Amino acid sequence: MFWTVTLSLLKGFGAATELFFLTLLLGLPLGLVVAFGSMSKFQPFRRWILYRKKAPGKFLQALAQLRPISALTNIIVWIIRGTPLMLQIIIIFYGPGLWFDNNIWAFGNGRMAACTLAFVINYACYFSVIYRGGIEGVPVGQREAGEVLGMTKRQIFFKVTLLQMVKRVVPPLSNEIITLVKDTSLARIIAITELIKAGEAYMKSNGITWPLFYTAVFYLIFVGILTLLFNFVERKLSYFR
Amino acid sequence: MAILEVQNIEKHFGSTKVLTDISFSLEEGQALSIIGSSGSGKTTLLRCLNFLEKPDKGRICVRGKVLFDAGDPSTQLEGEIRKKRLHFGLVFQSFNLFPQYTALQNITLARELQARERGETKAQIEAAGRELLSQMGLSDRADHYPHQLSGGQQQRVAIARALALQPDILCFDEPTSALDPELTGEVLRVIRNLAEKKTTMIIVTHEMAFARDVADQVIFMDEGIIVEQGDPHKVIDHPKEDRTRQFLSRYTERN
Repeated sequence: MFWTVTLSLLKGFGAATELFFLTLLLGLPLGLVVAFGSMSKFQPFRRWILYRKKAPGKFLQALAQLRPISALTNIIVWIIRGTPLMLQIIIIFYGPGLWFDNNIWAFGNGRMAACTLAFVINYACYFSVIYRGGIEGVPVGQREAGEVLGMTKRQIFFKVTLLQMVKRVVPPLSNEIITLVKDTSLARIIAITELIKAGEAYMKSNGITWPLFYTAVFYLIFVGILTLLFNFVERKLSYFR
Repeated sequence: MAILEVQNIEKHFGSTKVLTDISFSLEEGQALSIIGSSGSGKTTLLRCLNFLEKPDKGRICVRGKVLFDAGDPSTQLEGEIRKKRLHFGLVFQSFNLFPQYTALQNITLARELQARERGETKAQIEAAGRELLSQMGLSDRADHYPHQLSGGQQQRVAIARALALQPDILCFDEPTSALDPELTGEVLRVIRNLAEKKTTMIIVTHEMAFARDVADQVIFMDEGIIVEQGDPHKVIDHPKEDRTRQFLSRYTERN
């Protein structure tokens, strides 16, 4: 029995790790894009409004100050962070079929694809806020020191600010990534057999509960390895402040 | 001929005028001190010279060549600003050393990135860096990271970093204001040595005695204008203007 359970839990663990790594692989870079979006200073109406002959009214003044890319990104981040990931998975998976009569997920790995999409969007939003903190946390003086020394923008980014950002970002990012490990259990809401669902199956069919506790061991070991890894990275970056 | 000529600089931040009609010139090998209360525009003036701020009016000329003219867009091309900056060096109030590099690396980094255009080898640059460190009395700190150094030591590394690029004019923005009182001496001593070696410098400072002893010329600024300008002993010991007198009397009371 122990081996049958182990094998079936390993299968569930496989689905969970697949979701985990895909989310990281796609979500980490997408988060950077979202971060740049939310920091965008693009003000398309400013020039047009401020250089008109007539003095702008209150509404036009506000419009001149508007940063549409940043505003739109912040609204998206607010919605994604403000609603449960479980709801987002359900909407992404069932939405197309229910509202448009077009189940775009009706292929072999469709469920996993839908779930991955929901995770990537959700986690990219959380990552973006972390990145933003890291970027804005590097003092302006660092960039200015580089400029005064005649460095190019590229050189300043790669030689001066990048490593300082990475150092700032690692602790909050590791926290979020550890949460991601356990959030993979939400995939069961659209019938993906991840760890918990695999373990719970034995409770329903055989009336035994220990496989459910056994799943915890998988999570603990996985998170343990990640913790060691993050500690290593943090130690590597501890030579400066 | 003057090495630096600043003509009629004006700068606004939104609707507040920070600098009004600032003009002065500086001879090669001279030191100029700028004094004045906080908010008088001293720092903004230095930032304009280093192209960290763009003046709204006026001209900046170095060795007779126009580096910046607010009325002439061809002097404001993004691509050329980087090169123009190299005429000036700037030492910040808060040091702004790069934390992930050692003292020596802080000094050599920018010069190494420019090694090709300058036609120098890595070994030459490192040797020059070590030489600068020993000039600052920090030979034994070459491999220390900024957080392992005291404030005074950090500021001396920052001075060496600015000197490494051999600027025509070295600017100091309140170099001792962020330091504990007992650490200001070591930094002032280094600047005094530079003055004795005829380094062309502009020093924004609150150390009146130091400004008087080291500078060949003093400018007193208040509310964005130059109130009084001239020989340091005259301006600091026998000011002509009321505003200068008031400002200086506040200092003598404190000390």
